[in-house]
Amino acid sequence: MRVAVVASSIAAGIRIAKEVERVAGLDVFIIVCNARMQSRPLRWFRELVLAVNSFHWLTLAAKTWSYARPGTLIVLSRPLDDTASVECLEALQCDVGLHAANVIYRDATISSFRLGILNAHIGILPEYRGRSVAEWSVLQGDPTGVTVFFVDSGIDTGERIVLHEFVPPGGQKTVMKLKKMLFGCDARLYRKALEALMSPQLRFDTNDISEGRRYYVMSKVFTYAVNGILRTRANG
Amino acid sequence: MDLETVLSRSVLPLDRREAILCAALLQRRAGIRKSWRDFISAECLESLGPLAPEVESFLSGPNSCCDLRPVAGFTWLDCDTAFLDCLNAIALAKGLEYRTLETRPDSWSAADLKKLAGRDRFQALCARYCCPLNIGLGSELELAEELLRQLMVTDRTKLEAEAEFDVDEVLLKLNLVGIRALITRDLRCCDCLNYFYELPLRSLFRMRANSRLLASWLCIYSQLLCVPDWLRCVSP
Repeated sequence: MRVAVVASSIAAGIRIAKEVERVAGLDVFIIVCNARMQSRPLRWFRELVLAVNSFHWLTLAAKTWSYARPGTLIVLSRPLDDTASVECLEALQCDVGLHAANVIYRDATISSFRLGILNAHIGILPEYRGRSVAEWSVLQGDPTGVTVFFVDSGIDTGERIVLHEFVPPGGQKTVMKLKKMLFGCDARLYRKALEALMSPQLRFDTNDISEGRRYYVMSKVFTYAVNGILRTRANG
Repeated sequence: MDLETVLSRSVLPLDRREAILCAALLQRRAGIRKSWRDFISAECLESLGPLAPEVESFLSGPNSCCDLRPVAGFTWLDCDTAFLDCLNAIALAKGLEYRTLETRPDSWSAADLKKLAGRDRFQALCARYCCPLNIGLGSELELAEELLRQLMVTDRTKLEAEAEFDVDEVLLKLNLVGIRALITRDLRCCDCLNYFYELPLRSLFRMRANSRLLASWLCIYSQLLCVPDWLRCVSP
């Protein structure tokens, strides 16, 4: 199976690629997209800052080289939905894309992957679509977790759910820390999702949007309340 | 009211999540009681004419909230009074006389609403929701979701950037979404009003251009912060 991590930076791409390449029988590519259409010097400066901040910059540099040398690290100069970028993606003939970039995918981009693009959404689908879903789950007393599903061009409306995992807030005392923890599950859950996709017993769950609601960015007053709930829980 | 006070006044078996949410809502209500004059200036209040003393006492006075939940079960409602008078009656938690109808007007989809722009959209919404309680009916779910989406995506972005926006339309949508929250107890709709209340003051000051809609929005918002379902942990 050919898999491409669609990332906003080399560091983000390598973090996920390192985890998923543990699955046998995968060819892993990293595609770094230029969502903000930054100039080349600015992009490389950003990559350098991210590498230095990662504290593992030597490992990161070695990994980057190991992907760049065989041509499996592709740095796009145009936005992801640009014709040239889509042609580049189609030429790779990948089966699955792994979302690790801050972009919304157009149909042409999605269909350049045989099976589609997986997203590790930090909420339980179909109930919680959209933004701030981790904090909305806490506020409404529902379980927090991550759902890995194939995206479509809507907001968390893709029909095929590969897996979901409930991840309780544990000792996280703030919304920021909770979200960081949930976002940090992406590489591990992508690996599990790819293992599931390669299994002959795979059955997709259906993301029936009529069973859920779309959520939006949460206000300060409710975020403050969610922080209070998390603190109270963490302190027992 | 701080969290400790709310917890000490709890009458039901203590659900700490509800207690924290309740404290946040009541704190915001107390904030409005103190600072509503920052939004509705003296000139703005004066322009309300005979409504001014009622608005003043409603916003400065004790918590008050009318129970509009029974409305949700009807097919369609009709009021004898004009749209703005109905809106003000609901906002000030006064009794609103309405008749129930067996048939409802042709259904409207989100796409129909999106087709209209500017003044046409404003007038179409005023005409359809001449009796504003109708926005809370089950049949209006799709339109209400679209209004919420527009507020929390398009309008929010404009107001955050302090860009130009259609004051009348934004205020009308805030009023309708607020009424829907009063009827359906949808916390997302309530949080939409929270979010707009927290936006940059410079954007909110522009809303003084329509003092009646601004006053009714603040009164509906004040009611939402005292909805008994969300304040179950506090003794009456």
